Amino acid sequence: MSSSTGSLRRYLVTRLALVIPMVLLLLTFVFGLMRVAPGNPIQAALGGHLSPAQLHVRMHAAGYDKPVVVQYGEYLRQVFTGNFGTTITDSRPVSQIITQNGAATLELTVAALFVALLVGVPLGMLAGRMRDSWVDVSARSFGIVVYAAPVFFLGFLARLVFSTYLGWLPSSSQASVLVQADLIPHSNILILDAMIDGKWGDLPDLVRHLTLPAITLGLLLAGVFVRLIRVNVIQTLRADYIEAARARGVRESRVVVRHAFRNALVPVITVVGLQVALLLSGAVLTEATFNWPGIGNELVFYLNSRDYTAVQGIITVFALVVVAVSLLIDIANAWIDPRIRYS
Amino acid sequence: MRQRGRMIRLIALGTGLAVVIAACGSGKKAPSTSASAKSGATASVVMGTTDRVVALDPAGSYDLGSWTPIYNIYQLLLKIPPGGNTPVPDAATCAWQNPSNPVVYMCTMKAGQKFSNGDPVTAQDAAYSFQRIVTIKASNGPSSLLSSMKSVTASGNTVTFTLTAPNAVWPYVLTTGAGALVDQKVFPADKLLPDSQVIGSGPYKLAKYVPNQLAEFLPNPNYGGDDKLSNKEFIIRYEQNADTLVSDVSSGAINVAYRDMSPTQIKSLQGKSGVQIVYGHGTEIRYLNFNYNVMPGSNTAQKSAIRQAIAYLINRQDIATNVYNNTVKPLYSMIPQGLAGHTDSFKQMYGASPNPAKAKAALQAAGVQTPLAITLWYNTNHYGEASADEYTEIQRQLGASGLFKVTLQSAEWSTYNVAITKDEYGIGQLGWFPDYPNADDYTAPFYIDCSAATPNFPNNHYCNPAMEKLIAQEEATTDQAKRNAIFAQIQTIAAQDPVYIPVWQGGQVAAVGSNVTGVPSTFDPSYTFRFWLIGKK
Repeated sequence: MSSSTGSLRRYLVTRLALVIPMVLLLLTFVFGLMRVAPGNPIQAALGGHLSPAQLHVRMHAAGYDKPVVVQYGEYLRQVFTGNFGTTITDSRPVSQIITQNGAATLELTVAALFVALLVGVPLGMLAGRMRDSWVDVSARSFGIVVYAAPVFFLGFLARLVFSTYLGWLPSSSQASVLVQADLIPHSNILILDAMIDGKWGDLPDLVRHLTLPAITLGLLLAGVFVRLIRVNVIQTLRADYIEAARARGVRESRVVVRHAFRNALVPVITVVGLQVALLLSGAVLTEATFNWPGIGNELVFYLNSRDYTAVQGIITVFALVVVAVSLLIDIANAWIDPRIRYS
Repeated sequence: MRQRGRMIRLIALGTGLAVVIAACGSGKKAPSTSASAKSGATASVVMGTTDRVVALDPAGSYDLGSWTPIYNIYQLLLKIPPGGNTPVPDAATCAWQNPSNPVVYMCTMKAGQKFSNGDPVTAQDAAYSFQRIVTIKASNGPSSLLSSMKSVTASGNTVTFTLTAPNAVWPYVLTTGAGALVDQKVFPADKLLPDSQVIGSGPYKLAKYVPNQLAEFLPNPNYGGDDKLSNKEFIIRYEQNADTLVSDVSSGAINVAYRDMSPTQIKSLQGKSGVQIVYGHGTEIRYLNFNYNVMPGSNTAQKSAIRQAIAYLINRQDIATNVYNNTVKPLYSMIPQGLAGHTDSFKQMYGASPNPAKAKAALQAAGVQTPLAITLWYNTNHYGEASADEYTEIQRQLGASGLFKVTLQSAEWSTYNVAITKDEYGIGQLGWFPDYPNADDYTAPFYIDCSAATPNFPNNHYCNPAMEKLIAQEEATTDQAKRNAIFAQIQTIAAQDPVYIPVWQGGQVAAVGSNVTGVPSTFDPSYTFRFWLIGKK
């Protein structure tokens, strides 16, 4: 076994060990936050219709009057045995929300990432290459505006223009009603389900429904990419090896495309990973704006219903996804750059 | 380098494919996607709603969002017919064993009723259905509706309910979602059945269910009841908010938009091409609740005078017109119009329009210093978006008299509904959505409060033994004329010394495609949305 493999392993073990207290802290924070907020799912659903005595009987049966410490212990036991419980509000296993609505969120975020790369990378490169020109100013302004504008504002604007005024695209949901009724859920990613069953005729409808939410969420991330790639391209174009290439008589277009752009793209890999949290938080707002049946949309509903079980389960999954992606990036970076392992 | 080139080609290919697919679909809808494309008696009908389903197992739900599909999947022993407000036979014919002492209620099952899986609907199934609700006692379930049921037994084709006390409204309880009949071979006795697995003997069977997204109902081939279906398929799309409901019904993506659009949204749809607004009778009410312990006033007489003065000053018609665009009606009793026993007792006592002089006299007689500073509480998210406007209007009305100086306070529902029952709000907004269309449902939960063990649901410390006696009397008689007379007395007492001031009565409203039929027929005080009545021209 080489020493570099051993140090990588040590690094991995250390990073994995750090995940446990991180997740535990987060679970505790979410649990505490939900208990500090007033009300509980039974009061939210039946308050104003049942007497306090009747409500108390139901809350007692659900265990909401147990000491918080006992509830916390039960919660942790459930999470660590992989059982996220069943929602109080609508009797759904949280695992079902994660697989069913999580798939819709995955579909949206992947499409949004695609939009972000498609828009952000070329614009960033152009801006960097044509520094201080009108192209650069326009691209920078665009990047700042789409990043700074609240995602729900962009969403409402997109709905108003492309759906209400122009009527080009649907304003809500993942599919038309009859298309969704027709599809058999395999993966719960409807585009994939349509492909699996060879229902190609449903694809235009599904893509049309995906377009506005994906562009709205994707532009948020594109703003980050534009600025990051622009700076990287500018820095790379000043590098010695670029000068050397030019001195060797390499064509300028080749210098820019093959040498500068390629190296400027490397940090994007890290940033894509780091932006997963931004994507997920953006997805909550995008889903609410477009009635997209993702996990974020459900989170909003369960928060309003004070459904402890659902909120804790969903946030735990969000956290685990972010932690897992961060870990993967760290590992990738450590793999690429040995200095990280030793530092 | 080669990998990068491959990556670029892949991205380009994916982009191209997405553009081509989107372009194929742009500008026209695929035939299968347009809900409005199909018409005629065999049409598919798509309804959008912001209601959510708590559970499709009748033992797990006590909310309209769940009861709407339940009324269409399951049969009940008794049902409310379209446009009516009195129970009629559904899967059984029922009668009191002794109408002068309504304690034992017996139902004989109709022959030939079957569940959608082919199992016959028996008296044993019926008794099982009620017993399991009590056994399971689900957190969000309807077990409290059956609290007066002492026992339920089945013998032959007869189900016998024995009640803890005379209760003439028991037949109405059987018409609620709590009365849905389940197959004992399918539904477990001690836990809820997952939503996707439910079956019933009603006009429809659940064909597909994606929680909070979509429910598809197809005709039940084994249905043995009387109702004739006007469509071949009924689909519910669950929307997150009313904005999407409005845009979807405007674009034709859904045929019916039902619950819960604001008055402004309804107004925005009026006159829109291809959309018609349908109004119907409703019995949902809003009112002011007074907490006897913490409301303003230094003694009982002053508190009573303050409540009476407010009753004199509220202009209900202005609220209905200015705030709700006349989608609601002024309400002058806690028992809404359209229910047997209703009288306009507040109108008789306080008049139809504001009377500041009488309000001033009432306050002066009790020695209340004016202008009196009061705080009105309302809720921001449970009773509709217009609540803020409604309470601003009430603040304006009371302030205009010069007798009150009103401060408005609001809270989100989770906080509000707890605080109002814990003596934190002296005067506050509340609303009531009926379990069943009977005046008893608008009196017993409100005016029985003398026992500390069973306070009324707002826990406002009201106690009037005479009122409790009258409620016990109306519950003990099946003679509707006698009951109406008792309700008249109840409403008079309620107006004389009001602990609640009724404000408005909501109607039902839906936005439907211009070719959609049948929605007005299903709008009645029972809030039963009957899918089978909805069709297309």
